[in-house]
Amino acid sequence: MIGASLSRWTMSYFAAAIVALITALGLMTAGYGYPHAPVDAPPTLIIVHLVAIGWLSLLMCGALFQFVPVLIARPLANEQLPLPALICLLLGLFSLLCGFLWLDGGIDTTLPFFPMAATLLGLGFALVVWGLAHTLLTGRPLPLSARFVAVALAGVALTATLGIIFALVRGGIVAEPHLVDLTVAGVPIHAIAGLGGWLTFAAMGVSYRLLAMFMLAPELDRRGSRLALHLGSCALALAIIGGAVAICLEWSRNLMLLAAGLPGLAALAFYGRDMLHLYRARKRRIIELNARMATFAFASLGLAVMLVIALLALGRLQEQVAAVVFLVAFGWLSGLGLGKLYKIVAFLTWLECYGPVLGKKPTPRVQDLVIEKRAQKWFYLYFIAVWLGTAALLWGRPLVFQTMTLAMLVATLGIVVQLVRIRRLADVKVDDRFPADTRRPALLHAAVQGI
Amino acid sequence: MTTTFVDLDVRPLLSAGEEPFGKIMETVSALGEGEGLRLLATFKPIPLFSVLGSKGFSYEAREIGGGDWEVLFTPAGTAQPEETPAPLPASKDEEWPQPARHMDNRELDPPEPMVRILAAVEEMNPGEVLSALLCREPIFLLPELAKRGHRWQGAFEPDGTTYRLLVRIEAKEA
Repeated sequence: MIGASLSRWTMSYFAAAIVALITALGLMTAGYGYPHAPVDAPPTLIIVHLVAIGWLSLLMCGALFQFVPVLIARPLANEQLPLPALICLLLGLFSLLCGFLWLDGGIDTTLPFFPMAATLLGLGFALVVWGLAHTLLTGRPLPLSARFVAVALAGVALTATLGIIFALVRGGIVAEPHLVDLTVAGVPIHAIAGLGGWLTFAAMGVSYRLLAMFMLAPELDRRGSRLALHLGSCALALAIIGGAVAICLEWSRNLMLLAAGLPGLAALAFYGRDMLHLYRARKRRIIELNARMATFAFASLGLAVMLVIALLALGRLQEQVAAVVFLVAFGWLSGLGLGKLYKIVAFLTWLECYGPVLGKKPTPRVQDLVIEKRAQKWFYLYFIAVWLGTAALLWGRPLVFQTMTLAMLVATLGIVVQLVRIRRLADVKVDDRFPADTRRPALLHAAVQGI
Repeated sequence: MTTTFVDLDVRPLLSAGEEPFGKIMETVSALGEGEGLRLLATFKPIPLFSVLGSKGFSYEAREIGGGDWEVLFTPAGTAQPEETPAPLPASKDEEWPQPARHMDNRELDPPEPMVRILAAVEEMNPGEVLSALLCREPIFLLPELAKRGHRWQGAFEPDGTTYRLLVRIEAKEA
């Protein structure tokens, strides 16, 4: 078959991801974790993994199960994988969080939380990577956007491998000296692999295609776009593989990371130029909320890059790294994610509900499912709070930071209410809502009709 | 020495959304000494030219109407055919009439092209063909057309930016 259909469990991934985001923001607002605890303390690690695995990774996995088939015009190779993968990832995340609580003295029982987390998360991510990579293999030669996703899958595999090593060492299962060294010194590499190799690369790939599609802009596959891919891959190989080797052989890890920084910076510059070109070359003059909000996410990525350069120049990157990670995770990745969710949920809900009767009955348009004005204020609040929150971290103002995470929590809840209204078709006129032969989509999964 | 051609019509495979590459390579490897391949496809199969070129075949492609192409792959060392064989008599099932309706949906925001094509498809009569121009492959439309029992052919035009879709309306479900 050529073409793509609805992914049954994408909404379930999105729902689980949103619950994780709200929990993480709630904990940060309550003063849990950094800056009240050190960066590497268990409470901070709980928040970091709630955000990185619970929110961002589940969001990205759900999106990729739907959009990899769109990128290559081929159906998912194995429709049965997404649900067991989701269950493994959720149970694995829960075990991991319990493991950190146990380290912190919050849990007395001595269940093997870290080995359980390593097994379940390893299995969950392996299912995701296997399912998506197998699908990509059917679509060769791959278009540019899909090649970014292929690199992202390598990124998540490396991130998970490092994570599993850390968990087994922390859990006392493994005591091999090189792996212990890696656990002690490899945290920055694990973070770069996750936020850069996995999440940023996947976001770049999806943004090339989705922005072009929704703004009627040309598909880009020019020299600069390929350079972004190749330089970015080179940076990741240096940082992750080079970094790990450097630690094991007792070379300078930081020198390796600096060497990776140059191609990484060039890759982001080429990517930024392409995104600017997509906006300028678009045929659709008035763009939707998701594309407008994506510009704030791109601005956050640009700000994060400038912040890294400035902190490096001042020699203060090490002490301020939390602010950079916060801006990348919440401004760039979460900002883009929330903006795209607003579009994707509307589009998929519309397709699920009205697709089968299109042309046969009058149906609402996708735009009839959303009221952008209502959502817009929450997005503005969200981005302003992220930027001020980053500033509060830089200037060491924990109370201001907590106020900003509260504002982010309120904004996120505001956006989630809009997403639920979209999924329930609550903003479509009652008389037009369900033409004959249509029914309300379920909130948490999609009904997939056989062909 | 005149080349004899083995015929292979991959149009039904393409219309069914299947990948014809395996079938083509299977046929090519079964060719006897001095035999060529006459391929019928719903688009100009440019990638094949280099694949079969590396196996020593030269090609001659021509459009035979309705967006279909006939390509003659001739093994090296044999003379080109003096006259092009007549196109295969298409069976009744494969005859696609000239399009009864044309649409240019290239400037429309997604998913409007899909909405308009499905609306037109519902208005048309069985046996009629709809031709539509799009600015990208209509990923979500194709399964929906198949689900409704209609047949389609589609490919990017040589410019690489316009996707031309033909839909043949089949009898409506009762």
